[in-house]
Amino acid sequence: MEKGVLDMEVRPMKIQFNAADEALDKKEAGKGKQNRVNKDALTTVLYPVLFGVLILVLWQTQLLHRILGTDTFTLPLPGRIINIILANVPEILKNVQATVIVAVGGLVLGSVLGYLLGIVAMAFPKWGYGGISIASAFTAVPIVAIAPILNNLTKDFSDDPHVRSMIAKTLVVMITCTVSMAINAYRGFTELKPFSLDLMKSYAASKMTVFLKLRVPNSLPYVFTALRISVPASIISALVSEYFAEYIIGVGRQIRESIVLAQYATAWAYILVACVIGIMMYAILLVTEGVVLKGRRR
Amino acid sequence: MKRKTAKLAATILLMTMISITLAGCGQPTGTAGGETGTPTAVTASSGTSDTSAGSGKYYDPIDSVEYIIKDAAGKGKVGNWGLGNEYEVQALLAKYGQPITFLSQAFDMDGFDNDTILLASAMTYNELGLVKNSYAGGYGYGDKVGIIDMNDEGVAMLEDNIFCTREFAEKHPNTVKAFLYASMKGWEYACNNPEEAAEIVYKYGSSVSSDHQAYMASEVKKLVETDTKGNTVKDYGRMDDGALQQTLDLAKQYIQLSDPAAAEKLKSMTLDDIRDASYWEEAMASGGQFGPLEKTSVAIQLKWLPQAQFMGYYVALDKGYYKEVGLDVTIIPGGGDIGETTAVYTGQVDFGVTWVSNLIAANAGGMDLLQIAQVYQRSGLVLVYKLN
Repeated sequence: MEKGVLDMEVRPMKIQFNAADEALDKKEAGKGKQNRVNKDALTTVLYPVLFGVLILVLWQTQLLHRILGTDTFTLPLPGRIINIILANVPEILKNVQATVIVAVGGLVLGSVLGYLLGIVAMAFPKWGYGGISIASAFTAVPIVAIAPILNNLTKDFSDDPHVRSMIAKTLVVMITCTVSMAINAYRGFTELKPFSLDLMKSYAASKMTVFLKLRVPNSLPYVFTALRISVPASIISALVSEYFAEYIIGVGRQIRESIVLAQYATAWAYILVACVIGIMMYAILLVTEGVVLKGRRR
Repeated sequence: MKRKTAKLAATILLMTMISITLAGCGQPTGTAGGETGTPTAVTASSGTSDTSAGSGKYYDPIDSVEYIIKDAAGKGKVGNWGLGNEYEVQALLAKYGQPITFLSQAFDMDGFDNDTILLASAMTYNELGLVKNSYAGGYGYGDKVGIIDMNDEGVAMLEDNIFCTREFAEKHPNTVKAFLYASMKGWEYACNNPEEAAEIVYKYGSSVSSDHQAYMASEVKKLVETDTKGNTVKDYGRMDDGALQQTLDLAKQYIQLSDPAAAEKLKSMTLDDIRDASYWEEAMASGGQFGPLEKTSVAIQLKWLPQAQFMGYYVALDKGYYKEVGLDVTIIPGGGDIGETTAVYTGQVDFGVTWVSNLIAANAGGMDLLQIAQVYQRSGLVLVYKLN
């Protein structure tokens, strides 16, 4: 049972892992050439996995409890947590769906808005960067402060409490995702390769052509840099905004409800689910980045 | 000049973009939300959409409880706060053969006021007062509302108690008895002088107005001095096994635990797993004389904000009853997400006030909490509805 979940967490890396494993076998057999990349890949995957397994073993054998000075009630054993997940699959999936819709919806909206803001800032460089710096103050506003405010602001959006709390939560995620994208998109548009702009000028390229042929392609890696910040942030803000939502649904909300009702094992089950969502979304981002930016970096 | 125009144009562009995004984002997420709009066990989402159907038509004083519950449940307009406060309402719905789903009710009564909720949960000493009275924060309905009492319907579950961990009670028996003795003395004084008790609570910090505090004190007195059958109780804090057993039976039926291990434990729970009357009995028989106290500085965690719901403890503190028995007591208000069971279990505080059903759920989840006194002898939860 425990193995199942562990597999789920490392699945995105597993392919790499197997390849690296094979490479090692070959090397040991004295046949193939050393493959530097695969060896690096092996160690980068192996060490974290080993560390995870070590923690898991300490946890299940309760040594971890002794180190942290806690008990099996506050930190339930992994076996029990997995049991709860397996016994409540439909219920958990329903909550996961609500959380993922909010996180992805807010991420997309926030990123698109941020990219457009980046374009605006690039078009008017005199005040553009300063404007973005001011906008970045938004990220300093804690989610716990925005979430209840947006909850109240969206009260009239819909008669259905489920719909309006979804809107409120998505807006919170959107706000947290906008700024990092705006800053990075602006940098992507302006930090061009030396002389590339001069080259375009020598071709007498119009501003539009410069934008489409030079600036947009140049901004792509920066977009992914922004997404690397935004994706985890979107999950976190989705989870936190659920705390304040009117309608009781979502992984974050279940963590809260379980803790209020002193059901710590159930809370931990949802915490694990939240971790899996985060890891999966990040892995999807990394794979997408690898495909889109193939041959562009390094 | 040119720069100014550019600036102006950019500002306008920015404004429109933000407003378009803000306005536009409502739509896609709205539909996305609709797709997952399956009602959970806690909330019937269909209930709020047809506000027009129920408005203007309420209930008559001659309507039977059965008719009112079936009508409100049929429209999906029964409200409760959830978070462990819902079991009595669910038991009542089940009694009349209705599905046990309800709307998530906020901690104000606005939903009841604007007819989103036809049959709203209310505590006699708190929300019901706000609905009826017209002082600050009240809705001023006066006699234009009717109530369904959980005690009359036979689905009462006991609420505010005093508890600590079993380990603490076993290690500090004299402290526990001294604390119970002084607290009950405080409750006795508070119930005999509710107005003064309300003022004392107000002095120690209050979340509500002094008028509401006075109303609350008079209503809490009724809950402390009357049992579920309507008989007068003068043994403050006594544990009525009949009422406790009913609470436990209903809890077993309606507390839904996702954790299979906890659900198993709940099923096999008996009264001996949750309460021990011996400390209270010995405390009441002691006449204020205890052996050496094992711990003199103790704290009690309340379930909610400072209000007359907890007047006994504030009176005992203010009148020096705790000092008389040699205790230095700190009262820690609750509210929001503060879990009184967790606070006591982890040893941050020594005693706590919670509802018996919450204690049962916590023990099922793996805590070992022990109820040492039952302050409220009957359920304070009612369902309130408007009259035509």
